[in-house]
Amino acid sequence: MHITRRNFFRFMGAAGASVAVRPPSVHAWQSQAPPDPFGCLVDLTRCVGCRKCEEACAKVNDLPEPERVNCQCTIFEKDRRPDDTSYTVINRYYTGTVDVFDKPVPTYAKVQCMHCQDPACVSACIVGALTKDDTGAVHYDVSKCIGCRYCMVACPFEIPAYEYYDPITPRVMKCTFCQERISKKGGLPGCAGICPTEALTFGRRQTLLGVARKRLKENPGSYIQHIYGEKEVGGTSWMYLSSVPFEEVNLPLLPDTPSPKLSETIQHSLFSYLWSPVLLFGVLGACMARFNRGNDQKQNNADKGGA
Amino acid sequence: MMIKKIVCLVGLIPLLAGVCTARAWQATDQERARERAKEVVPFVKEYQDDCQISRRICLMDAGVSLDDVKEVYFLLDSPIIKEREDHYEPVRFAHKRHAALVNDCSKCHHFRPRDENALETTRCSACHQDSFNPDHPERIGLKAAYHQQCMECHQQEAKGPVDCTGCHLKHVPDHKELVKLPDNPDPIQVTKACLECHDTQGEDMLKTAHWLWRGPSPYTTGHRKDILHGKGTTALNNF
Repeated sequence: MHITRRNFFRFMGAAGASVAVRPPSVHAWQSQAPPDPFGCLVDLTRCVGCRKCEEACAKVNDLPEPERVNCQCTIFEKDRRPDDTSYTVINRYYTGTVDVFDKPVPTYAKVQCMHCQDPACVSACIVGALTKDDTGAVHYDVSKCIGCRYCMVACPFEIPAYEYYDPITPRVMKCTFCQERISKKGGLPGCAGICPTEALTFGRRQTLLGVARKRLKENPGSYIQHIYGEKEVGGTSWMYLSSVPFEEVNLPLLPDTPSPKLSETIQHSLFSYLWSPVLLFGVLGACMARFNRGNDQKQNNADKGGA
Repeated sequence: MMIKKIVCLVGLIPLLAGVCTARAWQATDQERARERAKEVVPFVKEYQDDCQISRRICLMDAGVSLDDVKEVYFLLDSPIIKEREDHYEPVRFAHKRHAALVNDCSKCHHFRPRDENALETTRCSACHQDSFNPDHPERIGLKAAYHQQCMECHQQEAKGPVDCTGCHLKHVPDHKELVKLPDNPDPIQVTKACLECHDTQGEDMLKTAHWLWRGPSPYTTGHRKDILHGKGTTALNNF
């Protein structure tokens, strides 16, 4: 088919109009968060660094026993991260506070998947292996995973780990929120069940927010007046209370907008009604047609000159 | 037939006697504490939300003194905690001794039931029962109540254990069965036997001041004037 200059502009005009009149719902990004998820409130002022949560986590998830489980003498000297053999770790931070005996006071901080309300990993997963379910858990389905590791790049907390040592059936490893256990009535995640001081409080996220606000109100001097995870990246199922600044215990400063909001808005507006590929190929087609016409004229001129 | 039966019964007597005497002797207060630990009292839903000072005044007004401490000794072994997990031996708690040392009942008996007829002091397990009760989300469970109360005070007072094994006895296996040592073993053989299983603890020890100390030891009898004296340098058993 021969595309004339006029035809091309006519076509592009129609395409542009269809983009302009498309329904506004395509533009507006909507949160996919479950209505009443479970959550866990981590109170760093209560944590004593016993690492029983690490031990219990490994036990209920069939992971190898954590390093030096009964000995806390030297384990805290290195900064650890959850990896393919552990879903959660406790780190120790000295932030400069001293007790009445001038001894530095340690702050222990638990690290695990935060189970975001609008998880970046779920948005980034191209095969739907990661899903946010009604319990609030970000669930990983190994049978769908193709091992692209986009989730690892997308996660704002850098949580998912990968079994690099296994070339045949590697898995992405991250905290499961003990999804099977908490789905049952009265079930607790392994870590929250074992915690001796209730530094981990398990319950419905809304209830926990109430508990956290009450704690902040009743002990104004003991806490930083902020619930980490209430609004960070659109809210997370795991939330933290602390007496020291959150950045100092390796909880990154993050915006309140959900991570997938920007990327999904861009993606959905670019690909709605396929207008951007249509535009792209239209432009390419026009260039080609023009280029060919020029060539034809040259050819004609050359033919004439040769004759 | 009859004779046979009698012979059988007579034969049983020393056996039964043996069973009776084999049962270890138990202290009466230990037995009592054990029985008491098994009790589960009804849950107190409503409590009087006083501050600690008014609570203390209340207790003083009520005339609660050391003589009112009826239960001297407790075993903390509640089925409320054991229902979820059971890893440790019961914790022994000297109630009266704590009361005498602290001399302020309101430190532990920090609230009272709202019910007017209730006693001024209540058991921990009356208000603190199962963790994460959705009806009382702000109320901590019994296990957390024990740990927070004990550890916080021990830390503040710099007195009493704050580590796990300070209060909890673990089920430690009898090492006579596990370790085979020659007769009259020398220190090196003993340490070797320990390190066979406890190698991580051995490595950790090498990073402690106990091993790394390179300075004077003015409190070590017989080595007061030594300038360099640490386990890693001059001590006899430094292997």
